[in-house]
Amino acid sequence: MRRIGLHLGLLFACAVILVPLLWVIRTSLLPEHLSYSPELMPAVTLDNYVDLFTSTRYGQSYLNSLIVAFGSVVVALPFAAMTGYAFARFKTSGRAGRFAVLATQMLPPVAIVLPAFALLRTVGLTNSLTGLIIVYAAVNLPFLIWILMGFFEGIPVDLEWAAQTDGATAWGAFWRIVLPVSLPGIAAAGVLGFILTWNEFLFALVLSGPQTATVPVALASLQTSNGVQIAKVSAGVVLAVLPLVIASRFIQRFIVQGLTFGSVK
Amino acid sequence: MSSIELDHVSKLYANGAYGVRDVDLSIGDGEFVIFLGPSGCGKSTTLRMIAGLEGITSGELRIGGRCVNNVAPRDRNIAVVFQSYALYPHMSVRDNMGFGLKMRGVARAVIDEKIRDAAGLLGLTPYLDRRPAALSGGQRQRVALGRAIVRDPVAFLLDEPLSNLDAQLRAEMRLELVKLHRRLGRTIVHVTHDQVEAMTMGDRICIMRDGRMIQVGKPLEVYADPVDTFVARFLATPPMNLVPARVEGRGDGLVVVGDGFTVEVPPMHRPAYAPLAGRAVIFGLRPEDLHEAPQPGFARIEVAVVAMESLGVENILVGQLGTGDGGGKDTAKPQEISARLSRHFTAPVGARVPLYLDPLPMHLFDPETTRAFPRPSLRLVTN
Repeated sequence: MRRIGLHLGLLFACAVILVPLLWVIRTSLLPEHLSYSPELMPAVTLDNYVDLFTSTRYGQSYLNSLIVAFGSVVVALPFAAMTGYAFARFKTSGRAGRFAVLATQMLPPVAIVLPAFALLRTVGLTNSLTGLIIVYAAVNLPFLIWILMGFFEGIPVDLEWAAQTDGATAWGAFWRIVLPVSLPGIAAAGVLGFILTWNEFLFALVLSGPQTATVPVALASLQTSNGVQIAKVSAGVVLAVLPLVIASRFIQRFIVQGLTFGSVK
Repeated sequence: MSSIELDHVSKLYANGAYGVRDVDLSIGDGEFVIFLGPSGCGKSTTLRMIAGLEGITSGELRIGGRCVNNVAPRDRNIAVVFQSYALYPHMSVRDNMGFGLKMRGVARAVIDEKIRDAAGLLGLTPYLDRRPAALSGGQRQRVALGRAIVRDPVAFLLDEPLSNLDAQLRAEMRLELVKLHRRLGRTIVHVTHDQVEAMTMGDRICIMRDGRMIQVGKPLEVYADPVDTFVARFLATPPMNLVPARVEGRGDGLVVVGDGFTVEVPPMHRPAYAPLAGRAVIFGLRPEDLHEAPQPGFARIEVAVVAMESLGVENILVGQLGTGDGGGKDTAKPQEISARLSRHFTAPVGARVPLYLDPLPMHLFDPETTRAFPRPSLRLVTN
């Protein structure tokens, strides 16, 4: 009896999470006039996807999102790794310093977006992918620092000591030993940074223009004065979720690898 | 060339606690020295200071006559084997062993040759292309050693390298290390909390406690003449029996009287112990100096058997001394002592058995300071 109850509960939980997603996939595959049909699957078509790429700038936005998300991770990770390592290993500013890093995350994004806009306008980087990359790298940095700090703290200091007595400098120990050993953590942090950037809406909305819109902005623009183009939105959402599905697979692999890396004992 | 001198070296932490306090020690070239002590006594900190991984607050550290207080670890040419082995998990055994040479810009061919030699010496040749995760504990231990050996350092610092091995492997590696030392002729500082390693491996033992080096000497010297009750108890299992007692003059002689025993002080110790007459002391005697059979000069005591451990090679008897009423003082606990007896000697728990005590190796300690009262060393006499 208990097992049945448990499984019913699990089924319900799965349904809560999966049904909306499945419904979106269904809608994306239906002709637009059947979007609100009560039937489960009255017809199948790929027209919505074709329409999305031909009649809107969704393709461009998709590419923008990929560039911005990758770019921001590539820019932020080295800083995050070095700062996180410094916090983990050296007597930096202690708890206060660590907390201060996180404090920037406590401001509501709305409070930062206007100053960011003003700054970017001054240097002429509004409506540019470079500007978005810089802003996202900066916004995600504290979060990445904290993830990596935890990871570096888990690496036994013995490894670095061994490297230093073996003839490496402190930097050499970091570069040749700590970085390769913490690769799973860095990859996981990178993927998380990617997801954060990929999903971000507010900064993209304010700082980008039609040419540089990212996926969330592009999806929002499908809500026109003529109503929501639900079929295209669904197709766009399905495509937008795709990288995240792949990314979470990666994260899983890396995190499991990180746990079983068998570093010291 | 590779002597190591610690000249009143101290380590003071930011919170005001001493990690190491005024350690003054000179380690000769090629010497095998053991740092022994309980956890947290500062032995590993001292080792790390020698390696340069830990700063020195005061005092001077010299390696080969050169002050190295402010020399980076990589410029000291000292190899450290860590308790955790600290193998680089992302490198093969070969690369682990070659890392130090690679860092020093040694040619690839030379590195390969040295790795081959060291791997042969340590029996690691079949495993050179494996990752550390695919090795057993003993093999990892050897890789850690190999990584130290290939570099041809002036000194090896071993930080409890055997503590993660099982008992049998530990005994094997103990011998291997001693052989290795003989072969390489390098200075070795070995940190351990294992008394067996300390007794068997080193030329000298340095016993540490609370950041201080409390006794330094050859293993048998330290064993025979501990400076205080801590050393007396620390250096063997079962530890030295320590029992509260009084020294009393009796005619010409001198006796030590405790709850349930009276021991006559042997003539050779009488001059040293005579001034203690009338004082409370701690009477110390190693378990192997209690016997099941009488001999001339031995004192007879009686104990109630509390436990009997048969180890095969010998039997350890734990017995309760005296009447158990603390000699009339109800505050005192009954004293338990242990004796290493022949494997043929057994007695049921609870039985009262006589034991014969050899008074010659006895020690007397000051109950307040725990320091040993000096007496002539037996080793000088028996040699």
